[in-house]
Amino acid sequence: MSLRIILVTGANGGLGTAIAKNFLAESPENFVWLGINNHRGQAEALTAEHPGRCRLALLDVTNPGAWQPAVAGILTVHGRVDVLVNNAGRHEDALLARMDPGSWGRVLSLNLDSVFHGCQSVLPAMISQRSGRIVNVASLSALLAPPGQTNYAAAKAGVLALTQSLAKEVARLGITVNAVCPGYVDTGSLAGMDDETRRQALSKIPMRRFGRPEEVAAAVRFLACADASYITGSVLKIDGGIF
Amino acid sequence: MSTSTELKSQIKRLLVENLMLQISPEEIGDDQPLFGPNGLGLDSVDALQLVVALDKNHGLKLSDPEAARKTMQTVSTIAAAIEGKPV
Repeated sequence: MSLRIILVTGANGGLGTAIAKNFLAESPENFVWLGINNHRGQAEALTAEHPGRCRLALLDVTNPGAWQPAVAGILTVHGRVDVLVNNAGRHEDALLARMDPGSWGRVLSLNLDSVFHGCQSVLPAMISQRSGRIVNVASLSALLAPPGQTNYAAAKAGVLALTQSLAKEVARLGITVNAVCPGYVDTGSLAGMDDETRRQALSKIPMRRFGRPEEVAAAVRFLACADASYITGSVLKIDGGIF
Repeated sequence: MSTSTELKSQIKRLLVENLMLQISPEEIGDDQPLFGPNGLGLDSVDALQLVVALDKNHGLKLSDPEAARKTMQTVSTIAAAIEGKPV
């Protein structure tokens, strides 16, 4: 059996776990590496649920020095890496006038620099294989640029530009690079929303409901599958029709 | 066939197969420039593939961009680098 080797960063979060589960459900030939930093919660439970089909990869995605051993570890075990899902991310919202410069740096580092480091780490193997799929999880904020998210919107817009530029660089090497832009998705990040903010958010969504993590995961899985071989540099909105 | 000649033939096959060139290995000259309009016409993406292929097939590490540029001028300069000779 030839395994398809998939690395998902931010695998301990709601979206990352959903993406990993989706790949595990897609095929018994999918082997998923769960990139986590320190909070092991959901990822560790997933390895217990699927013994022999997924493993934890300790990986601080903001640290370029952490990527090399993580990817080398995967290559040592499997000799290849087929899919990278750059999912790790977080927002720290504040008006720019009051934004702590440290917050700017952290958000750029976690949401944008990490994607650069990840792509650079897996590309030698993918070039050698002459195949690979990279899916970057951006955000609708990259397109809407809402107030209070100058750092996050700038970082995610950077991810889209990186996606499209890199897609052109590696198109002829059998490697595709795409991005998804989730809108409001019902993960832990929405849990802290008060009722009024929730009502206002729902009123902006034509479908009048938040997305489910599984709905984003399905799009990520599609962009990573063999059938998506002629799709690269694309940005797919998953937002219930906002715009 | 000398070792060096055999190595150059291997490099030419590697170029054609990895970069999907629409020519035969025999059509590539030992000292023909690989890059630029007056040579084989390879570009930066080809260079990227070539660096990976040379590492994979011959263990040649070209992590420094300047060294890579000097090494990948022609088939002869690549062969010299693999054999550990100064380029």
